[in-house]
Amino acid sequence: MTKPMVPSDAELLRSMLAGDEQAFTALYGRYKGLVYRFALLMSGQASIAEEVTQEVFLALLHNGRRYDPERASLKAYLCGAARNQVLLLIKKERPYVQLVEESDDGQELPIAQLISGDDPLGDCARNEVNRLVRQAVLALPARYREVIVLCDFQELSYAEAALALDCPIGTVNSRLHRGHALLSKKLRAAGLDSAPDAQVMRCFA
Amino acid sequence: MNCHDFEKLALALARNSLLDATVRDRGLIHTEVCNRCAARLAQERALLARMRAVGAEMAGEEPPARVDALLLAAFRAQTAATTSSTVIPAQGRAGRWSSWKLAAVAAGILILISVMAILWKSTSSRMPQREERVVAPTPVNTPGPQAEPPVGRDQVADERPKNLPKRVRRRAPVKSQDEAEVVTQFFLLREGEDLTTLDSLQVVRVELPGSALGEVGLPFDPETVNEPVKADVVLGQDGMARAIRFVR
Repeated sequence: MTKPMVPSDAELLRSMLAGDEQAFTALYGRYKGLVYRFALLMSGQASIAEEVTQEVFLALLHNGRRYDPERASLKAYLCGAARNQVLLLIKKERPYVQLVEESDDGQELPIAQLISGDDPLGDCARNEVNRLVRQAVLALPARYREVIVLCDFQELSYAEAALALDCPIGTVNSRLHRGHALLSKKLRAAGLDSAPDAQVMRCFA
Repeated sequence: MNCHDFEKLALALARNSLLDATVRDRGLIHTEVCNRCAARLAQERALLARMRAVGAEMAGEEPPARVDALLLAAFRAQTAATTSSTVIPAQGRAGRWSSWKLAAVAAGILILISVMAILWKSTSSRMPQREERVVAPTPVNTPGPQAEPPVGRDQVADERPKNLPKRVRRRAPVKSQDEAEVVTQFFLLREGEDLTTLDSLQVVRVELPGSALGEVGLPFDPETVNEPVKADVVLGQDGMARAIRFVR
């Protein structure tokens, strides 16, 4: 029995640009979650994430021919486009955006709460931990946040992240180091140690 | 390996992304002899695990269906825009109609366009004339605003001055509306469908080639067939286009 052939991104994109609706649906289905979640983690706002998703795929529809598969993977290309859109929208909506780091405990969460499963108490604790992590990530400066979202949450390689962010791999690496240090600090401040003996931050013995 | 070298590797070790097995082993051996670096690695791993837990929790989060529908509609509109100039004659019509009928329709459309162009010209050239007619009797050239309606004019002129400012005020917004947008009626894209029975509708502004006018039976200039025209497309909840109107 032969394995069904999965079309590559480049093939799907070509077909999509030629007007194949199935190719568009397949490509969109493949990456809509990635783009949406990246924007959600970067902004903390579902409305911004929706808008970014729309804009990124509209841009792909209109300017897809400009994409060069030899330069970057489509994943990295879309993440780069999403990143530019998010930064643009955050900047534009700054006066209206409720910054998570400034919000009090009782305030509405910027990200929808998740539905509880079979273990409500455990779920609640996990949700609380995850919420704290998301808030800590949102409170990071954008240059560290984006690299953490790409490499740690979306699990892009350093090389892919470098292409998406249009910077050298070394910059990704150093920002990731710095971002992790800041994130650990914020999590500790929020009462969440990232390791049992997390007081030991670095060792240069 | 010393602790400084280990620090450079800590992230990659935690992520299991070190390709060089020798370097990885040296790093791991170092953690066996250095408690601080072992703790550092544990901290990195814990942080990564927390972030991956958030990532896993969010794995199901996707854009809502309305975004899917909007993008699908945009894709369809774009596809229609790029292909409609070739699709219109090809879709069914050519198959059903003989060539002389098509020629007759084309001639009819050309005549209709000419008539429309003439009418268009005459209405647009009439607009300022109307303005002038209204403005002409106003005492613009007369010495002062307190001047009474000109004496010696005919009865109509004598009766008008009190209403003139109102008319001028009324015309101004009409003119600006004309300049802003002129829209056609909505044309249903599915024959016989009642849009009022649908739960929710969305209107999306798109740009289509001039030939799209022909799809709903409006005249279009074959020479400007590829020039974009603005249109408002009404989408149902399923993202399917239900009605369209053209905007100028």
